[in-house]
Amino acid sequence: EDVGSAVARVGAVWLALVLGLIVLPSALGVSLGISEAYMWVLVKTLEWATIRIEKGIKKPQPQILKAPATNGIIERDETPMEKEIARLHRVDFEFSDIFYFCRKGFEAIVDDEVTQRFSSEELVSWNLLTRTNVNFHYISLRLTVVWVIGVIVRYCFLLPLRFTLAAIGITSMIVGTTIVGQLPNSSLKNYLSELVHLTCSRILVRALSGTIRYHNRENKPQKGGICVANHTSPIDAIILTNDGCYAMVGQVHGGLMGVIQRATVKACPHVWFERSEIKDRHLVTERLREHVADKSKLPILIFPEGTCINNTSVMMFKKGSFEIGGTIYPVAIKYDPQFGDAFWNSSKYNIVSYLLRIMTSWAIVCNVWYMPPMVRKEGEDAVQFANRVRSAIARQGGLTELPWDGGLKRAKVKDTFKEEQQKNYSKMLVRNGSIG
Amino acid sequence: SGELTPNPITSLFSSLPVTSEQIEHLHRRFKQLSRDQLTIRKENFDSIPDLEFNPIRGKIVHAFFDRRNLRPESDGLADEINFEDFLTIMSYFRPIEMNMDEEQLDRFRKEKLKFLFHMYDSDHDGKITLQEYRNVVEELLSGNPHLEKDSARSIADGAMMEAASICVGQMGPDQVYEGITFEDFLKMWQGIDIETKMHVRFLNMETIAHCY
Repeated sequence: EDVGSAVARVGAVWLALVLGLIVLPSALGVSLGISEAYMWVLVKTLEWATIRIEKGIKKPQPQILKAPATNGIIERDETPMEKEIARLHRVDFEFSDIFYFCRKGFEAIVDDEVTQRFSSEELVSWNLLTRTNVNFHYISLRLTVVWVIGVIVRYCFLLPLRFTLAAIGITSMIVGTTIVGQLPNSSLKNYLSELVHLTCSRILVRALSGTIRYHNRENKPQKGGICVANHTSPIDAIILTNDGCYAMVGQVHGGLMGVIQRATVKACPHVWFERSEIKDRHLVTERLREHVADKSKLPILIFPEGTCINNTSVMMFKKGSFEIGGTIYPVAIKYDPQFGDAFWNSSKYNIVSYLLRIMTSWAIVCNVWYMPPMVRKEGEDAVQFANRVRSAIARQGGLTELPWDGGLKRAKVKDTFKEEQQKNYSKMLVRNGSIG
Repeated sequence: SGELTPNPITSLFSSLPVTSEQIEHLHRRFKQLSRDQLTIRKENFDSIPDLEFNPIRGKIVHAFFDRRNLRPESDGLADEINFEDFLTIMSYFRPIEMNMDEEQLDRFRKEKLKFLFHMYDSDHDGKITLQEYRNVVEELLSGNPHLEKDSARSIADGAMMEAASICVGQMGPDQVYEGITFEDFLKMWQGIDIETKMHVRFLNMETIAHCY
């Protein structure tokens, strides 16, 4: 009995601390500075650990520490086809042209740009999440002890804390929005629903130990607009709703997600589609157009890449989002991989193992840039507009742009790309007058 | 899951001029392509999107399985290759090392040209015939609908004539040029610096450390 009551007392204290130090400040939108202190300690520890490892390796230190600008292992020659072939003009140039394509082919086999994007970004230092970064060599006892302590802290302290917070956040979201949903439509209802959404987002962000820096807040998406962002993980949505209210767009799911969706749509006009409706593009576009036309409705949030990318590049935007009309508010989200890898490779890991991994990482640190609104220009079609927005986002977030489709995670390349390359090559031949 | 331990593997491959870190990277790439099997087949190259839009993709993939490239004095096509074979093919693309002497440079150059020669000579008879050459040009040009098949052929024919004039000199009206042999091929490339055109350079590996 003593043990029972002691445990109960500890539990009560624990809950009180959590509510007082974390939940209440979130509801009020106030920060107690605990996260900042935590991050500072974390950064200092990581720096110390990395220095220890470098000392322990006993190799001559590299003179220049190259920034990981290229994510590959080989130096790719960026010379365009025309230059390369013009250089080798001596024999008849078909013999030598094959060099260019040969080398490009080999570069692709050793290290291709697309597949790289679907595996997690490689880190320059160690982030105490795995044993070491020099392929499991044993460096020193001290370092192993630190790593073990890290594991204990993460799994025995952080994980339960985060789990509690997440549970509180989700429950209050469901309960809060259901209650607000009962009210008749009025400005009071809108105000309360925004309050509930914001509070729960803040709790959930703290559940992930998220440190988010928002830049250029004067460009925050306005009502009646469309917010467009690059996609790395399912928590992107929470990161954005932490700072403002949006109408979400998505497919209706089953299970817990479905419960949340049904509850929240009563309080706030989110746009949830049935699976059958998603196939009909016109229906989707129509509904979104209706929503956008109503200037009193919250801005809708869309991730046009269609799938999670590993946050080093921005892939092709599906043009559907850009056909709706209205003002587009681009947002760039860039995660700092040093503290926790937020990328979700949905073909490799399922959502539960992904969430577990997120909750046992040290923190999620990211930067969010709000960018000035963009509208479609005269004579610009949806694809060109989509590309323009994509370039802007890539430039702001420091991500590279790839002309590839996110669907390549699972599918094969279209033949049109291969023909494109062949067309370019043969155009050059014709131009250089080798024919006729 | 069968990770490499550095020492045994690098000693096995010490005859090949790649560093142990490069070997580990290539091994990881090999496992990715082979989906964790011990050998790679032709179908495994289908999973490389960047390779898809290379017009001579077929020839490049074929080169990996061409036994003439894998071992000296052998012939035919292999169905599958293991990691050692993969490294052997990759070593054709190594860059020049600073400390090479004349003889090594010459051998280096011959190896790369031989690799290229095998790519053209698809029937393995030791000669690049007019038909084989036409095949290569057509592959390089086949995507353009505005280019007729005849144009591709005339490019090929013109090129072969020039090759013949370099290798055989003036030909009599009854002489038939059978095909470019490897010696002729070497002649054509005299004076052209191919060593720097046909290599893939690895980035300095020590600066890139990573987590799993």
